[in-house]
Amino acid sequence: MKLEILFTILPLALVAVIFQFMPLLTRRGIFFSATVDPEFPQSSDGRRLLRSYRLQAALWTVLAFALAVPLATTRPQFGATLPALVLVAGIGFSYWLKFREVHERYGLRRPEVRETSLSPAEERQSINLWLVIPPFVAIAAVAIYLNAHWSQIPDQFPVHWGVNGQPNRWASRDVAGVYGTLLMGTLMDLLCLGFAWALLRMSRKSTMRYVTVRMLEVLLYPLTFTFIVVSLLPLMRIPLWLAPVVLLAFVAVIFLWSYRKITAASAPDEVPEPQNDSYWKAGVFYYNPNDPAIFVSKRVGIGYTMNFANKMSWVVLVGILLIALLPALLMRK
Amino acid sequence: MSSGLTLRIDLDSDVPAYRQIVDGLRILLVNGKLAPGSELPSVRRIAVDLGVHFNTVAEAYRTLADEGWLELRHGRGATVVERDAPAASAGKVTEFRRRLRALVAEMQSQGASAAKLSVELRTAANELDV
Repeated sequence: MKLEILFTILPLALVAVIFQFMPLLTRRGIFFSATVDPEFPQSSDGRRLLRSYRLQAALWTVLAFALAVPLATTRPQFGATLPALVLVAGIGFSYWLKFREVHERYGLRRPEVRETSLSPAEERQSINLWLVIPPFVAIAAVAIYLNAHWSQIPDQFPVHWGVNGQPNRWASRDVAGVYGTLLMGTLMDLLCLGFAWALLRMSRKSTMRYVTVRMLEVLLYPLTFTFIVVSLLPLMRIPLWLAPVVLLAFVAVIFLWSYRKITAASAPDEVPEPQNDSYWKAGVFYYNPNDPAIFVSKRVGIGYTMNFANKMSWVVLVGILLIALLPALLMRK
Repeated sequence: MSSGLTLRIDLDSDVPAYRQIVDGLRILLVNGKLAPGSELPSVRRIAVDLGVHFNTVAEAYRTLADEGWLELRHGRGATVVERDAPAASAGKVTEFRRRLRALVAEMQSQGASAAKLSVELRTAANELDV
């Protein structure tokens, strides 16, 4: 099998597997994003709906693979994008159909009783500085090391590699070329921290928030490691596979830890999220004009989604996109 | 102090959220669970937790500040202050009687006896009397 096809198929397969298990990665009493009796997913109707969704998801996966194989070799520019779009849109459509069915036929309407602690001390939750400072120290140390060994850096060196392992982008020995990778790493780390900070201010206290903030803090380590490895390559012989392997290992560990935390019993001082299914468009988009929270914990999967009825959400979303795209724009220079 | 105290509202209720917040906090203030010197969380946090507009909470805080219970801190929360018990005016007593009669009539129409309501009223008054 050609390498291009393998690298196109692998991410699609990974996404397809995640989609197969997605309906199970949720809180008790939620099924396909709809509020149900906690025992419903184990009932015969619940199992039938899950089987039906999985079959449809498998069919969309086959279609995406069928598109990906010829495109990977003939039109590599669409090789990954178009099949990924088909996969996500197709399975998203199947998920929406199931959400509608569960909500209309088996859904429950829980009372919208909300509670808050009157202790102001709970506002003092913050980012764990002892956890997040070391990656920035590491970046600074590498920058100092590169500066000290400036004369040993080649005039031209690779900074990006294709799926075949061959370099496809080069940089020269100047300030942007040598320190650009570290700058991008710093920006990515700051993006993670900015998101964690925004979550602490603009969402309700919950296990999901605790897990997501910790996840973002810990994510700084594999991210920083990746950027440090790339920036040191002109001076050291470091195996290229090391960075993605460390990143994947970190992500796997973080994911397992998060899953255990989220599926465990809720903390006693947890602030409940809105219960009404009508706030969830297609089961995944939260739209509640009365809710000032910008970030709301997702009904399925780990992490947060935004309240799309809040104008600030759109401002934050555009800000996140701009910061996320900044490294790519800088790379093009 | 306010540690361990919670404020609960029902968004499905016919009673507006603003009124529920004022009533809930006033009960804690009257029975002394929120003592002078206690600090209340910021408007932002209460609003986000309860899922109501910032103005709803700010208005509730202002109402209680106007009644002399709270001192507002700009951009932050509020502090419970020492308050001299005012003498209820004749107008206030009349308004209270009108609201109470409406409430008693509503409960009697639901089947609650006068004796049962009398016990409930006495219990509530005793619970709040500190």
